[in-house]
Amino acid sequence: MNTPSPKISTMPSKPVKLRVIWLQGITCNGNTHSFLNDPSLGSLLECIEFIHHPLLPCSKTLKEVVKKLPKSDILIFEGAYRADFERAEIRMESLLMSLALRTKHIISLGSCASFGGIFKESASEHISGILFDKESESGPLHSLRKKVITLSGCPIHPKWISFVIDMIVQGKKISLDEYRRPKELYGYLVHNGCLRNEYFEWKVDSDHFGTKEGCLYYAQGCQGPFTHGSCNKILWNGVSSKTRSGTPCVGCTEPSFPRTELFTTKTYMSIPAEMPLGVPKRSYLALAGAAKSFHIKRLEGKLIDDNS
Amino acid sequence: MITHELIERIEGEAILDFKTDKSGIVEEADIRFVHFRGMEAILEGRNALDALVIAPRVCGICGHSHLIAAVRMIESAYIDAGFSLTITPKAHSIREITLKCELIQNHIKWLYLVMLHESGKLLGEEVNVSLKALYVTSQINQLSALFSGQWPHSSYAIPGGVTCDPTHIEVMQALKILSEVEQFVGKEVLGCPLEKFELHLKNDSHRALEGDFSKLLHRFERLNLLNSGKSHGRFLVLGENAGSLDHSERSGADVALVSEDSSHTFTHGGKTHAKNALYNGAFYETGPLARALITERQGIASLYQRYGDCAQTRLSARIDEMVTLIAHVRLLLTSLDLSQPSFIPPSHIESISGSGVGIVEAPRGSLIHRARIERGKIVEYSIITPTQWNLGNGTASNLGVAQRAMIGAESITKASLIFRTFDVCSVCTTH
Ligand code: SF4
Ligand code: SF4
Repeated sequence: MNTPSPKISTMPSKPVKLRVIWLQGITCNGNTHSFLNDPSLGSLLECIEFIHHPLLPCSKTLKEVVKKLPKSDILIFEGAYRADFERAEIRMESLLMSLALRTKHIISLGSCASFGGIFKESASEHISGILFDKESESGPLHSLRKKVITLSGCPIHPKWISFVIDMIVQGKKISLDEYRRPKELYGYLVHNGCLRNEYFEWKVDSDHFGTKEGCLYYAQGCQGPFTHGSCNKILWNGVSSKTRSGTPCVGCTEPSFPRTELFTTKTYMSIPAEMPLGVPKRSYLALAGAAKSFHIKRLEGKLIDDNS
Repeated sequence: MITHELIERIEGEAILDFKTDKSGIVEEADIRFVHFRGMEAILEGRNALDALVIAPRVCGICGHSHLIAAVRMIESAYIDAGFSLTITPKAHSIREITLKCELIQNHIKWLYLVMLHESGKLLGEEVNVSLKALYVTSQINQLSALFSGQWPHSSYAIPGGVTCDPTHIEVMQALKILSEVEQFVGKEVLGCPLEKFELHLKNDSHRALEGDFSKLLHRFERLNLLNSGKSHGRFLVLGENAGSLDHSERSGADVALVSEDSSHTFTHGGKTHAKNALYNGAFYETGPLARALITERQGIASLYQRYGDCAQTRLSARIDEMVTLIAHVRLLLTSLDLSQPSFIPPSHIESISGSGVGIVEAPRGSLIHRARIERGKIVEYSIITPTQWNLGNGTASNLGVAQRAMIGAESITKASLIFRTFDVCSVCTTH
């Protein structure tokens, strides 16, 4: 673990690039493709070089990686973990551990790698994330937990990963939450910054899908108020987000992803069963009662009444 | 001699088992996919609408096609259950726009990240990250996200329409992005204006153009591969403009004639997880070449007449399709009528018991989602992916499409490059 770090580089004009290995478990490749969406990929590649990446040009093929088990500065793991899943005919339990021991930082990329995600559903007892199995910290890398940074999301946003890499490159400390997710990214809720916030405040629900108006929390199943993530701060593909395009947040950054009945709000005595994070039910009810007793005409009509 | 070749830089990995003669010529080629993720089982037992979130996760590069297949499947179950359902032309066009964008970005990535990269490596040339190609694909995905909220893994298409309610702001932004894409494709990929490309194919002058595509063709020429890779000459399109073609004989296409063969899979003592997809009991090629020939696009039709279903024709079909799709997206964007509703609420999903099928022409070919729904819940789900058609693994007397194309290749590295002309996707194949 003594690969040169950029801080001690003797040639400031040509800093040593961090060496990165991108390894995949059971995956859909969604994080790989989301990563490629970063329009400033070029400047990121000035600071790092891929020893291995599943799609980008890199110095070693997967076959060479499993044979030589090279050292690295960052190991990025995408996809769910299963001990007997093989890459280039090597079992994941030995491959992941060997590469993890030979690296300085491990990025658990996407909700499958972080908590098990979608692919855990197919064989729950055998499949987990690399550090967490749903909420419990019982994944194969628990002895190396200090190296792990969790970037959950299905998929992750390319800016989240380049942020973490930049922080590592600059040797800055990243403060982490209980799941080892960077607080600066996951301190927000998806609800923060959603264009429908005013409808949420005044308890105006969306009659149905396909409109600019109304909040999706009351009937359409939006999980934004209790899902961590900066989707409405750092917009997707630079322009939008699920809730901005009228789709309910499906809670993809949380260990509970994927829940069921994703397009309906579960209610208890006709109020949403799950409260906005940290809000006691009584406070919510008091506020909702008050908000509902007013009729804000502007919020009941169309935002743009003659769009043609 | 028997060689096992691990194929990387596809979506996932595949193994090719080659048998070669003394001079290295490929006599047999078996295609194996060793991963399995159990997607269909994950879907079963869930609310049918959850498929709109789960199904895209079959594949990171064509997840949007899986979303559209899933929503069409649910909508067809509504009809099967005796309910009516209206999709406005606006909602329909928006779905088309985002779907076509996915195909365009796929084709560009395939050209730059896979074909130019692998052919360059084979010729000992230095290969670099094609940042210009990645930038333009990020722009196309941005165009899509203006409507779908994000790419990859949007769930914005729902039974009855789409969740978004765009304004002209999004449409104008989309048109600007599209102009940039057109410029890129004309200048960098083709080396000629988009509307001239078909004529070049017809006149057989496309190899003389100066763009990255002709660069690829020249490499194939140097490798003596331009006219290799011929297969059965049987083509199939099951989605829009369905039809089949057996050499010169044209007929319709009926999804009822599709079957799956799992006799070569692990469960039956075989060596792969991929099931073969068959039409009328035989292997058919699907994807851009099939679509071009069945819709009789002139450039590709004349190339096919001249050279047959070889590498050159197959490569050109994907590029020509990209050109056609860009024009199509422009037309859809300029004719979008925003005054129509995005979504017309159908009956509640819990009232639906019926069977549905959703077919999409995905980047690599015909994609089929089928399911049985019982009071809104999925009881059975089955997916046939495009690569199950093209990369099926047959027997010596009944070879799969890519298998047949590889036989006779001068070396296993050349055979592997032929394999990639089919645009391989392992994650889809072994959902
Ligand atoms: S977390 Fe989501 S995007 Fe990432 S591999 Fe899993 S399914 Fe694909
Ligand atoms: S739609 Fe969701 S994220 Fe947006 S305001 Fe409503 S609850 Fe919050």
